[in-house]
Amino acid sequence: MKQTPYFFLLPSILILAFTSLYPICYSIYYSFFNWNWGNQKDFVGLSNYISLLTDKKFWIIIKNTFVFAFFACLIEIIIGLLLAIYIDRLKFGSTIIRTLLLIPLMVSGISVTMLFKVILDNMFGIIPYFLSFIGIKSNFFGSYDAAMPTIIGLDVWWQTSFVFIIILAGLQSIPSEPIEAAKMDGATEWEITRYIRLPMIRSLIFLVLIFRSIDTLKVFDIVWGTTGGGPGLATEVLQTYAYRVAFSFLEMSTSMTIMVLFSFVVILLTAIYSKFNKEIYE
Amino acid sequence: MNKFSKHKHLITAYIVSFFAIAVTILPITWLFLLSIKSKGETFTKPPKWLFNPTAQNYIDLWDNDLFKDTFVNSFFITLISITLSIIIAIFAAYALKRYQIRFRTAFMQWLLLAYMLPEFLFVLPMFAIYQTIGIYDTYIGMALIYQVHVLPFSIWMLRSFLEEIPKEIDDAAYLDGCNPLQAIYKIYLPLIIPGIVATAILNGIWIWNELAIALGLTFFDAQPITVGVASFRGYASINWGGMTGSAIISMIPMILFATFAQKHIVKGLTLGAVKG
Repeated sequence: MKQTPYFFLLPSILILAFTSLYPICYSIYYSFFNWNWGNQKDFVGLSNYISLLTDKKFWIIIKNTFVFAFFACLIEIIIGLLLAIYIDRLKFGSTIIRTLLLIPLMVSGISVTMLFKVILDNMFGIIPYFLSFIGIKSNFFGSYDAAMPTIIGLDVWWQTSFVFIIILAGLQSIPSEPIEAAKMDGATEWEITRYIRLPMIRSLIFLVLIFRSIDTLKVFDIVWGTTGGGPGLATEVLQTYAYRVAFSFLEMSTSMTIMVLFSFVVILLTAIYSKFNKEIYE
Repeated sequence: MNKFSKHKHLITAYIVSFFAIAVTILPITWLFLLSIKSKGETFTKPPKWLFNPTAQNYIDLWDNDLFKDTFVNSFFITLISITLSIIIAIFAAYALKRYQIRFRTAFMQWLLLAYMLPEFLFVLPMFAIYQTIGIYDTYIGMALIYQVHVLPFSIWMLRSFLEEIPKEIDDAAYLDGCNPLQAIYKIYLPLIIPGIVATAILNGIWIWNELAIALGLTFFDAQPITVGVASFRGYASINWGGMTGSAIISMIPMILFATFAQKHIVKGLTLGAVKG
């Protein structure tokens, strides 16, 4: 039967339409209204977009989000790549090392939050306690300058193994012939890594970069759980702000406008990824 | 000389791995140690390295009905979500493998996009419609919205497991007169059981750890464990025993599952783009 495959796809299409297309359309539609949880919904045209984009506060939040995403991605990729390069050289023990390093990735963001709230607590935490020996009075989540780097640090602890695991799998799947040949020619270990291994896993590094950048832009749990966006606006990011606008300021349409704008960025990044990585569809 | 430099690389590699493991494991170990210290000993300065372990924090959590409920809720939400997604995804994955489908690329792109969309985008629209149709703060409502992430993932994963089955098996089934449903049930399903288990585990980990959507779409009856853990993060008077104990409890099942799914994790993390 010709219709069979479409019949098989139908449940998926229906569910995905309800869970993804409907929220997008709904959000776009109500981003043109002024709706604050009541029954009153006034059409206001583009004014939600205009007032958001002319709001200095909103630009600080956009800046925060991108600062977080940029540094978190950068540090995670550098550390993850180096770890993978080193551990790929081990002839033995790499499986158990991989299993242990995988643990943070399996832990929920809110548990990571709790973990570091306990360890970094100004009064009772173990790290501020050690730092006090060398005369440093630390205030990890509470000070304007330290809060963002601290949260980036949390994300690095949490997600670096994502980069590490994927790059390691890529390195381990490289055929050994070109590497043997290079060794014969007297290339050093780093030269082999630089000129043979890394170029061979280029598309994998690109995949990791896109996945991590989308994921870090979407950061919510570890910010909401630790600083809640504070102090001041120091760590407020797009998703925590959208949450606050909807549930504290009770401005539903503004919140949906933020998410519409944000979703376009995510759609753009996803489109870039699919354009450069067509083979994943086949 | 050559031999020495070779060993030097290995030694550096072991030192690097040792540090990486220490940074990974020490914080969790410390959290666990705090969770089994008694109230008076938790934060003595200097920290007490030798102490009588106590399960009091865990007993308190067990007696705390609010927290116990969130554990049970998470269990059912996870179970319903993964069952629903696997059943629906098997048919979609089979259709994508077996048939020429128009708009195939568009469909796959849609999957990727739905998988990537930010969580809070779903909260307000779903909040409104869930209130109207009466599934706000229910297991079904949560399981349904989680499909937006879990279903694309399942289709992607199961499809890549199906691709590994040789085409000859497929053709043989048709020559023997199997209809598509029989082929799925009798031939493919048994062959991809490991793939289904891995997919279910990876989906389960994501659902178990999800917070943003749960905060918006649950109030009491369906609050999952992430919200339960978050409830201990008070600022005024901090319940350290609850914080440390609940975090440990929420971690343990996922770390165990992850160890089981180890083999398929790389494939899972890259939506099947890389074989593990």
